[in-house]
Amino acid sequence: MSARSIPADAPGASWLRSAFTRNRLLELLPFILLTIVLILLALFVPNFFNSRNIINIFVQASTLGLMAIGMTAVMISGGIDLSIPSVMALSAIVGAMNLRDGGSVLGSSLLMLLVGSLAGCINGFAVAYLKMIPFVVTLAMMTIATGTSIWITNSVSVPVVSEELFSLVLDRTLGIPRPIIIMAAMALIATLLIRRSVFGRWLYAVGINVKAARVSRIPATRVVFGAYVVSGFFAGLTAIILSARLGAASANMGNDGVVLDIVSSAVVGGVSIYGGVGGPLGAVLGAIFITVISNSMNMMQVSFFTSLMIKGVVIIAFVFFDSLKKR
Amino acid sequence: MVNPYLTMQGITKRFPGVTALQDVSFQAYPGEAMALIGANGAGKSTLMNVLGGVIRADSGEIQIDGARVEIDSPLSATANGIAFVHQEMAMLPTMTVAENLHISQFPTRGGLINTSETDRRSAEVLRRMGCQFTPDTRVQFLSTGDRQMVEIARALLTHPRIVIFDEPTSSLTSREKARLFEVIRSLKTEGVTIIYITHFLDEVFQICERATVLRGGETVGSGMLKDLTPNAIVQMMIGDIGIEVHRKRETAATAEPILGVSSLSRKGALRDVSFTLHKGEVLGLWGLLGSGRTEVARAVIGLDPIDSGQVEVRTDGAGMRPIKPGQAQRWIGMITEDRRSEGLLLSMSVKNNMSLANLRGLANRWLLVRGDEETRQAQEFVDRLNIIISSLRQPVGTLSGGNQQKVVVGRWLQVSPPIIIMDEPTRGLDVGAKAEIRNIILELAEAGKGVLVISSELEEMMALCHRYLVMNRGQIVRELPGTASRNELMAAAAGVDFMEDR
Repeated sequence: MSARSIPADAPGASWLRSAFTRNRLLELLPFILLTIVLILLALFVPNFFNSRNIINIFVQASTLGLMAIGMTAVMISGGIDLSIPSVMALSAIVGAMNLRDGGSVLGSSLLMLLVGSLAGCINGFAVAYLKMIPFVVTLAMMTIATGTSIWITNSVSVPVVSEELFSLVLDRTLGIPRPIIIMAAMALIATLLIRRSVFGRWLYAVGINVKAARVSRIPATRVVFGAYVVSGFFAGLTAIILSARLGAASANMGNDGVVLDIVSSAVVGGVSIYGGVGGPLGAVLGAIFITVISNSMNMMQVSFFTSLMIKGVVIIAFVFFDSLKKR
Repeated sequence: MVNPYLTMQGITKRFPGVTALQDVSFQAYPGEAMALIGANGAGKSTLMNVLGGVIRADSGEIQIDGARVEIDSPLSATANGIAFVHQEMAMLPTMTVAENLHISQFPTRGGLINTSETDRRSAEVLRRMGCQFTPDTRVQFLSTGDRQMVEIARALLTHPRIVIFDEPTSSLTSREKARLFEVIRSLKTEGVTIIYITHFLDEVFQICERATVLRGGETVGSGMLKDLTPNAIVQMMIGDIGIEVHRKRETAATAEPILGVSSLSRKGALRDVSFTLHKGEVLGLWGLLGSGRTEVARAVIGLDPIDSGQVEVRTDGAGMRPIKPGQAQRWIGMITEDRRSEGLLLSMSVKNNMSLANLRGLANRWLLVRGDEETRQAQEFVDRLNIIISSLRQPVGTLSGGNQQKVVVGRWLQVSPPIIIMDEPTRGLDVGAKAEIRNIILELAEAGKGVLVISSELEEMMALCHRYLVMNRGQIVRELPGTASRNELMAAAAGVDFMEDR
């Protein structure tokens, strides 16, 4: 009977403990797989470990990694943000138009961050305060952002021509391209904040058990809102780097494939779709992993469509591992 | 002398660590309603789950109409003419009444649902029960009482010979209750055997002919109600063995109010709840399961919305001040009844769980949590509460129940709010852990906090409380002093007056 119930945890305790060690193993899985893939590449793709190619991979991974950091914040809170790439594209376009019309590099960059954060605010408001479902809200935001992008550009890409911006974003420091440095710095800062800041701790608490979080006087609504703002901010930050790298901004920057890559980066990096687990560092490593797969398949001249299939299988495998972790 | 239609004999059921039923005997008679009475945890539900085929007894036998039967699944219970009207209604709100009635057994024709037959059967059973709604009404548009009727109709569809009602009136209005009783009476005239489980003794005397009382998993009494008084039943429910009650220490509950609640109401849950909690006082919110105790706590602290009412707290220095629902948590700590789903973050470490409510207090000016301070405080309360852990980093889900609960308590001791609400603070804990938690509660009161305690265990309440508020159906029906006897408390909760023999 309920009132005098058996101390239910007693028999469960040892089971739980073994589950935790199993979870440890599952957390290490991406690194084990990455190592295996790298060994295979060393054996079969001669040019892969060429330093030029390695740097190229890291530069490619940097924009994906930054967006994955934003996604991580949302996923830890227990949600998902499908609008990141399209919001990134919209931010880039607005910033690029401002630059084209004579705006300063600083102003245009801030504008990109602002547009991204604003879209994040709208997502966050709908999810946290109006209690709408993240999947639907951000899917709608994705459509709105893409629609707006196409509308204001007439489907024509906006050129980004500014030596000042190029040198700011693309130059090398200590021989390393700035995008890589920015990604690494952001990963470290985000990791520090998520582990040590009050907001970070609240974010995990809300993702693990929102009811318990509320009872422990955590402002859960504001925390969830904040997570979407963070993700919007990272979309804006990515917009600055990607528009400089491409020398243009267009609605096409945030195509459908990108959102899949972001989710896969996070999931491969150990961020759980169920919330409360994982961190930005893992997500960035996941982004590198995904980029390595794309790049190597490209070098092995696997067709684009086949590579999509393979990526899809990889993601499903990792989601499966994630569901194993949960139980 | 009528022969019993149903006989359960020597029923024993053990769960790991606890004997839920010990050699229980139970008879019910055709055309009569048998009340099954007992305090929370007496074994009523376990016994009925055995009869309903939900769980299997370790030993004992069941006879229906003189013949021995094996009931090993809900399906075989149905086959033996037993129907169970559950307390918690499992309805599919967007489906129609007819669909809800037949969801597990649609009449078919050629592999498809025979809708005309479904409607015909539904209309028939609804007519029999005197329901005003039609089978094509969607359940979501029905009142709680009408939904209960649908639940009963579902049980009657199989033309059962034995119907078990588990707390059927807990969510009904008095008019709906009258209708339910009409249905029960008409079932009785058809010769159906009724088993009626309830906490409310007044209903027992209204609708039942006989009563069986369980206590601690054993049958303690059985008889015709015309030979029994409410007092006698209450006496049987709690027994007269003087279980040792730790006398509460003579802490002085001051007259200084610290929390004031006035006219708190929420439709369907709370009605006009008002009370005052004083500094240094342990105030008990006593009542049976579902009487609204937990709802009061959740409404006070702002976890559930309220329709009307006000909460006041004594803020530092100044007198009592009304607060908005969202602010209550600044002054009130809450230990919820279900620590696993509403208390702890099971996958997080002991340390992080203990600092959860206090992160702002632990933050430096950059809003980063000071790790050393977090560790120091966690260690302090681990030591003080004697929590057994292997390391502060151990996930809290791997601890025993008692230690988990102490982690939750430690969380609030870190913050040290002036008011603490504890909902079933010792549920599921072993005797030693229970005693430790109770001592902590008394120490908190000694330290001048106001503590509001909710517990289903009478002994616990009596060991702790300076004063009791007795709840029944979402209302505070009585206030009793700390000196109230077990009988007074039990009777007040069951909704009857108890006259102490002097």
